[in-house]
Amino acid sequence: MDERILEFIGDLRRAEVRISPSEALDALAAASEVGLVDRETFKTTLAATLIKEFRDQPTFDRLFDLYFLDLEALGQGLQKALGPADPRVQDMLDRMLAEEGMELDELTELLMRGGGSEMEMAIRASGQNAGLERLMYFLQVGFFSRRLSDRFDWSAVEADLERLLKLLEARGLDPGQLARVRNYLELRLEAFKRMIRQHVERELERRAYRQGEKLTREVLSEKPLFALTADEIAQMKAVVARLARKIKDALALRQRQEQRGRIDTRRTTRKSLQYGGVPMEIFLKRRHREKPKLVTVCDVSDSVRNASRFMLQLVWSLQECFSRVRSYVFVSEIAEVTQAFSTYPVERAIEWALKGAPVDYHCRSDFGYAFSRFSKTELDSLDRKTTILVLGDARNNYNDPQAWALRLIRERVKGIIWLNPEGQWGWGIGDSVMPLYAPACDFVRECRTIAQLGEVVDNLVHHWWRRGR
Amino acid sequence: MFESVEEVQQRFGDARYIASRRIATVVFLAARMGRPVLVEGPAGVGKTELAKTLSEVTGRRLIRLQCYEGLDEGKALYEWKYAKQLLYTQLLRERIGELIADAPSLPDAVAKIAGQEDAFFSFRFLSPRPLLSAILAEEPVVLLVDEIDKAEPEFEAFLLEVLSDFQVSVPELGTVRAKHIPLVVLTSNNARELSDGLKRRCLHLFIDFPVPADELAIIRLKVPEIPEKLAAAVVSAVQKIRALDLRKLPSVSESLDWARSLVILNARELSPELVESTLTMLVKHEKDLERVKGALDKVLAE
Repeated sequence: MDERILEFIGDLRRAEVRISPSEALDALAAASEVGLVDRETFKTTLAATLIKEFRDQPTFDRLFDLYFLDLEALGQGLQKALGPADPRVQDMLDRMLAEEGMELDELTELLMRGGGSEMEMAIRASGQNAGLERLMYFLQVGFFSRRLSDRFDWSAVEADLERLLKLLEARGLDPGQLARVRNYLELRLEAFKRMIRQHVERELERRAYRQGEKLTREVLSEKPLFALTADEIAQMKAVVARLARKIKDALALRQRQEQRGRIDTRRTTRKSLQYGGVPMEIFLKRRHREKPKLVTVCDVSDSVRNASRFMLQLVWSLQECFSRVRSYVFVSEIAEVTQAFSTYPVERAIEWALKGAPVDYHCRSDFGYAFSRFSKTELDSLDRKTTILVLGDARNNYNDPQAWALRLIRERVKGIIWLNPEGQWGWGIGDSVMPLYAPACDFVRECRTIAQLGEVVDNLVHHWWRRGR
Repeated sequence: MFESVEEVQQRFGDARYIASRRIATVVFLAARMGRPVLVEGPAGVGKTELAKTLSEVTGRRLIRLQCYEGLDEGKALYEWKYAKQLLYTQLLRERIGELIADAPSLPDAVAKIAGQEDAFFSFRFLSPRPLLSAILAEEPVVLLVDEIDKAEPEFEAFLLEVLSDFQVSVPELGTVRAKHIPLVVLTSNNARELSDGLKRRCLHLFIDFPVPADELAIIRLKVPEIPEKLAAAVVSAVQKIRALDLRKLPSVSESLDWARSLVILNARELSPELVESTLTMLVKHEKDLERVKGALDKVLAE
């Protein structure tokens, strides 16, 4: 069992659940404490020792089901496969074997008497070095099942069975009875072979799961955002949430490390009374850092909608890092969508911002118009603590870029950061007016994939707002 | 302490705490392996109660350390009673004078006073705080570290050190080692992520809102005077309210409060008017209230 648990832990690790060696040891110790009483208790035991983050629970549940078979269900399945149990035949065989003192092959023994779990164990043992790690496609299942089954010594079994039947015949069993015994043994043989195949199928499923997890995280975060399918978008949400969490954790840690500041006279004096007025312990005033304000301005036209979606998700998941977040979306008309985020949970608010906001989603993007509107209506609400985060491809459909508006906005705020979901090679080509807007921005970054988006936002949270505090 | 998971469940039940199989398993493991348990979950699902019941069931004294922002080692471990030390020194000034009267030189006098140091740095002048009391305790205890997420990460690191070897060094007195390993329960509301080290050290238990059957059992147990039908209606309503998209979901303690107030009002069944007027027991946010009121017929549907 220990080996099985360790193997399970290995797979959890591969699925990016962090498990330390000491936790693995704990799991083994705990498992031996409770023993294998029932599946639920066993599961709780492993979960309590291995899973320390709530977000890892689903991964654990899925892998657990792949690893630790529901033996009860398996038992029932086996029963079904074997047909109605035939205690009379079994009895007769047992008695006869005892009387004759016949030596049977281990495998025959297993076939005749073994329960589901014993058979399962034997199959697993034979699969140990059958090259199952090369199992990748469903088409290989047949091949590997054969390979596994070839590792058993079937000739010995056949010989055994032949001997057995001969013996029965010799004892004068009538043909009807004999057929029944033969049938019974064949059924069991059949069931065993089916179990081998099931074992290989499960192995495949486990491998696919492993691969799948890895793919989601790695490939997805490198994939251009505009090329995502609906399915991938759903998966991506989890990736972005993880990213936001990482940034936040790092930030929380750093904020607390700052312990410099002026002396807090009140607390220091108060404490000094204990020491007869000698200021033995010094207390410092914690510096209260102004949290920055953030305004996001997102292009939500078709070409860049995904990028906007994930940036909004990231920014709003990080809202504790800012004193205020406001969001605007535009295609050519611009509208504020902040309200949605205070009423709905982040994901629903984003869906609304991308589809239901009071802007015309079907016209062609016009950055110039959007910026000039923004500068007319919102300029007064901006101040030097505000950073503006623009997300757009700057493809202006040959409209007037009105770069003056962006420059005007820049004068009122701490900075403008432009994230462009289009590759840098395309800036300035065709209807792209990125070079006209770039001078008004503090920095401009290419942001085609989630990995890049995460990098930029991380960089902003940790460096941009630190400067000139 | 416990022989089996069933026994834990049984004895907790006797102490009027409905422990799910999950909770019982983790408690059993903690007692067997001598490991701290980290309990996480939404507010008001009985995390603190778990520790209290554990102390009751095992007959061990409960020592509680409530964490808050700014909690430091001194407040958690021990403090010297400086004022008392100072006072004693003042009172004993003459004796000290006598002691060093015949010292020929200053270094000799210092050496003589140093010889008496033990008198001033002894347990007499030490006021033990929860952690040290747990370690010094003559009999085994249950140590509850409540809301560990409210304390700072530095404190967490320090706590981890204490929890891993159950010994503390007081520089003036030397190292104090626990006579008995206490049963430790830490609770967290997930206000912030706890450090990996601490999590690694602990068994992890996530307590969620109870399933309807368990919640019914809890209400029947804690509010025994409630009519059976009403209890069932309360549970069904609370469970449905939890399914709504609210800012703060009603906790078990709140549904108990609600049940109690309904009993005081002599209610027999839940009518919409009654629910509306008592809803504030259950839902505490203005916006949530509105939302629940809007969905009242759904909440009360059978």
